[in-house]
Amino acid sequence: MSSHTSTNINTLGVSTFACAWCGLTVSAYAADGAPRNHCPSCLHSQHVLDHVEGGPSDCEGRMSPIAIAVLRTGDWMVIHRCVRCDELTSNPVCTDDNQLILMRMAVRPLAQPPFPLEAFGTL
Amino acid sequence: MSRNNHRGRGRRRPQRHKDVLHTQGGHRANDFRCVSCRLDVSLDAPGTAHRNHCPNCLASLHVDRKIPGDRDADCRGRMEALGMSVRTDGEWMIIHQCASCGELSANRIAGDDSPLALVRLALRPLADPQRAGRALLTL
Repeated sequence: MSSHTSTNINTLGVSTFACAWCGLTVSAYAADGAPRNHCPSCLHSQHVLDHVEGGPSDCEGRMSPIAIAVLRTGDWMVIHRCVRCDELTSNPVCTDDNQLILMRMAVRPLAQPPFPLEAFGTL
Repeated sequence: MSRNNHRGRGRRRPQRHKDVLHTQGGHRANDFRCVSCRLDVSLDAPGTAHRNHCPNCLASLHVDRKIPGDRDADCRGRMEALGMSVRTDGEWMIIHQCASCGELSANRIAGDDSPLALVRLALRPLADPQRAGRALLTL
């Protein structure tokens, strides 16, 4: 099930939701049948599942992507943070997610390092 | 027989007075030992008021719930560094995940964190050339 409350079934019988950030109408399931929980275009999500206690959450804030995490299997996860209540969640990436935004988040730490990276050339 | 021996040696000698206590309330009262690499870490860190992870291996402990320092969580699990995030002002944040309950938290890096561990964590998504190359090819 999608983590968006605004999931509705249109006349074609395809369940969709509207992205909370860019307004794109997205089908609730990816091409391989996996349920979607974030917009493939801007990767934003919505806080409708309570990940601590389980079940639906009454926050419904927009969740913005803040980081990429890598599992031991090598799969990428998107870390989302709720802009209303600061809850953090991690979701697997879909195959049709926007690779530009994924890559931008992955290389973002290296754009503004807190220390000069030149020293690592001598290691 | 043994009682006679005992009486012969006299009373047990009292312990010598210790003026430096190494445990509770002593000079290491605020230190903690990292659950992952067993490094002794002092609580005062440059650049932050709350030391919440080991500067050597970046592991943390699940003791706080919402507010840093509230010590409200019952989990006490080991939290491993999962990924690196960047604030809008350019400050690096470490995303920790509790190995026991799966809870996520974001923590600021400290001034004496190991740069090698930080960069290894930040480069982790790019370490797999197949995955990163496929992402670049679709751009």
